[in-house]
Amino acid sequence: MKKITGLTKHWEFILLMILVAEFVIFTLANPKFLRPVSIMSSVTNYISICIIALFVTFVMITGGIDIQAASIIGLTSITIGVLWSDADLSIWGAVVCAIILSGICGALSGFFVAYCGVQPMVVTLGGSFLYSGIALLISSLSKTPAYQGISKFPLKTQDGRFVGFRFLGKGEVFGFLPMPIFIYIILIVICYFLLHKTKYGRQVFLVGVNAEAAKYSGINTRLIIMSTYILSALGASVAGILLTSNVDSAKYDIGSTFTLSIITAVVLGGTLSTGGKGSIAGTALASLIICILRYGLPLCFGISTQNLDLPVGLMLIVVVVGRAMAQKGLFQKVFRDRALKYRN
Amino acid sequence: MTGVWSGIRQARWISSLLFLFALILITGSVNHAFFSYDNILNCFNAAVVFTLLAVGIAFVIMTGEIDVSIGATMGLTAAIAGKIAQQHGSFAVMLLIAVAIGIVAGLINGLGVSFLGIPSLIFTLGTNGVIRGIVYIASGGKTIENYAGSFTNYGNKTAVFGITWYYLIVLVVVALAHLLTTGTSRGKYFIAVGDNAAGATLVGISVFQTKMTAYMLSGVFAGIAGVAFASKYGQVNIVAGAGYEMSAIAACVLGGISLSGGLGNMIGAAIGAVIMSSVSRMLVFINLPSNFNDTITGIMLITIVVTDALMQRRAVENARRKRLLQRVAPGQDGGMQQEDGGETA
Repeated sequence: MKKITGLTKHWEFILLMILVAEFVIFTLANPKFLRPVSIMSSVTNYISICIIALFVTFVMITGGIDIQAASIIGLTSITIGVLWSDADLSIWGAVVCAIILSGICGALSGFFVAYCGVQPMVVTLGGSFLYSGIALLISSLSKTPAYQGISKFPLKTQDGRFVGFRFLGKGEVFGFLPMPIFIYIILIVICYFLLHKTKYGRQVFLVGVNAEAAKYSGINTRLIIMSTYILSALGASVAGILLTSNVDSAKYDIGSTFTLSIITAVVLGGTLSTGGKGSIAGTALASLIICILRYGLPLCFGISTQNLDLPVGLMLIVVVVGRAMAQKGLFQKVFRDRALKYRN
Repeated sequence: MTGVWSGIRQARWISSLLFLFALILITGSVNHAFFSYDNILNCFNAAVVFTLLAVGIAFVIMTGEIDVSIGATMGLTAAIAGKIAQQHGSFAVMLLIAVAIGIVAGLINGLGVSFLGIPSLIFTLGTNGVIRGIVYIASGGKTIENYAGSFTNYGNKTAVFGITWYYLIVLVVVALAHLLTTGTSRGKYFIAVGDNAAGATLVGISVFQTKMTAYMLSGVFAGIAGVAFASKYGQVNIVAGAGYEMSAIAACVLGGISLSGGLGNMIGAAIGAVIMSSVSRMLVFINLPSNFNDTITGIMLITIVVTDALMQRRAVENARRKRLLQRVAPGQDGGMQQEDGGETA
C-alpha cells in the first residue's frame, strides 16, 4: 500500500517530468518548436479539450463518466450562431442563452444518472446522440447552410484588433497572453478551489469513495452527482464559446472528435475512473501534455495531423498499463490480487 | 426463476421487438407506401454491418465490460479489404485477415482489461486511438475506392424472398451466437461472469478466460463487419467506422442488454441493430429530414434505458418488500421468494 500511495502522491510530479521531457525532445528535434507564440496558439487550438477535461474530472471522481461533453460544444456554438444571426439577439444574449441551454442539457443527463439510476455511460451516450442531433436541428433553422458555418461574429476593428465577442477567442491580455489561455488559468484556479478547498469538493470525493457512506453522513449524493454533470456541461459550453469566437465559425459538429482526448486527459491526470481519486493539477498537466504532443509531433517528426489518434491512444495505453503494473507489483501479485478482489 | 425478475428478463428482447413493430406501424400509418414487403425488408437488409458489430460487442457487454475499439477495428479491416479488392484478391483472404486482426485486437483488449484490470472503457479507448492510427498508415491517408467487380456486387445479391445473402448469413450467425450463449454451458459463462464475477469464480468459471474470449469474439465480429462494410459501400475513407462503436452499444442497449452485464441476449442485440439502422430509412417515409436521425436515436435510447432502470428499481423494491413480508409471516410462497432474494442481493 505504501508503494501505491507513494506513486499517486507523486503522480503530478511524473506528469511534470513527461511535460518537460516532451519540451526537451521536441526542441532537440526542431528548434522552431520553442517559440512561445506558436506554443500558445497550439494550446489555444485545443483549449476546449483542456477546459472540458477540468470539469469531467468532477464527474469521474464521483464514479461517473461524461462522453456527451463534446456534443455540447457543437450545441453551444450553433445556438450562439443561430440566435445571433437569425434571431437577431445581441451576441451576449445569445451567449447567455447557450450557457443556460447547455446547463439544462447537463441537468437532464445528471438527473437520469442520479435520480433514475441509469449507468452514466449509457445516459451520456444517449445524450451525445441527442444533443448533437438537437444542434443539427438548430442549424437547420438558420439560413446559412449547415456545412458552411455561421461566421462574421463581432467584432474585428479596421486596424485588426478584436473587441467584443471575438475578444474572448482572439484577444490578448497583458500584451502576450491569449484570452482563452487566460480564461483557462482562471478556470483552473476556480476548479482547484472548488474541488480541493471547499465543502462541495470534499462531498464530491466522498460520493466517489463510498456513495452509501456519503448518504448516511447526510450528504445529498444525488444532488452532488447531478451537479457534476451540470458543471461538466457548463464547462463544455464555455469551451464552445471560446472555440466559436476563436475560429469565427458556428457549426453544429464543431469539436465532435474531442471525446477520446478529453477522457485521455482526465485519466492521464491520475483520476480513477472508478471514482474517489483525482486532482485538478493532474488533469491540467495531462491536458497540456496532450496539447504539446499534438503540436509537437507534426512539427518535429512530420506526423500527419490526421494521424494524432495513434500517439494519444498509445500514451493512454502506456500510462494505464504502467500504472496497473506498478500497482500490482509488476505481475507478481497479479494472481493473488485477483483472487482477493473476487473473494470480496 | 419465476417471479418479477424472470418476467423482465424475458420481456427485455420482446419489448424491443414490440418497439420495432411500433416504429414500423407508426411509419406505415403516416405514409402507407412504407407498408410494402420490399421497404420493410430493406430495413433488415441494411442492418448487416450494425448487426455484426452489435452481436460482437454483446459478448463483451454481457460480461459487464465494454469495447469501444470495434469501430476502429472495423475501419482497419474495411481498409485492408478495400486494398485487397483493388488488386482483385480473393474474398477468403480478406475474411482470413479480418479474423486475424480481430483476434489480435481482442487479445490486446482482453489482456489489458482482464489481466491488468484496467477499466475497459479507458483501455479500449486507447486501443481505439492506436488502431485508428494504423488505419491511417494502412490506407496511406487516402480514401480507398475504385474497386469494382464481384466484391461490391456480393452485398446486393439476394438469396431468398428478397433477403440478401449477407443478411441471411448474418441471421445464421445471430442464431448461432444465440444458441451458444443460451444453449451451451460455456456460452452461459458470459452472462454468469457479467452477473456476478465473484460467484462465477467460486463455481469454477475462469473470469479471465471468459472475458478474453468475449473480447476476441467482439474483435472478430468487428473485423468481419469491416469486410461487409467495404463490400456494401464500395469505398472506405480513413474515418470509416468512427462512431459505429457507439451505435453498436446503443443497439445493444435498445435490444435489452444491460451495460452492467449479466442481462440480455443476442436476439435483442440483432433487433436493436435493426432499429438503429432503420431509423434514418423511416424518417424518409414520414417526410422528416435526415437531420432528425441523431435526435430521435438519442431520445429513443434515453427513454428506453430510463424506463428500464425505473422498472428494475420497482422490481427490486417489490422483491425486497416480499422478502420482508415473508420474514414477518413465513410460509407464504416461501421457495419462490427465496430465489428472488438471491437475485437481488
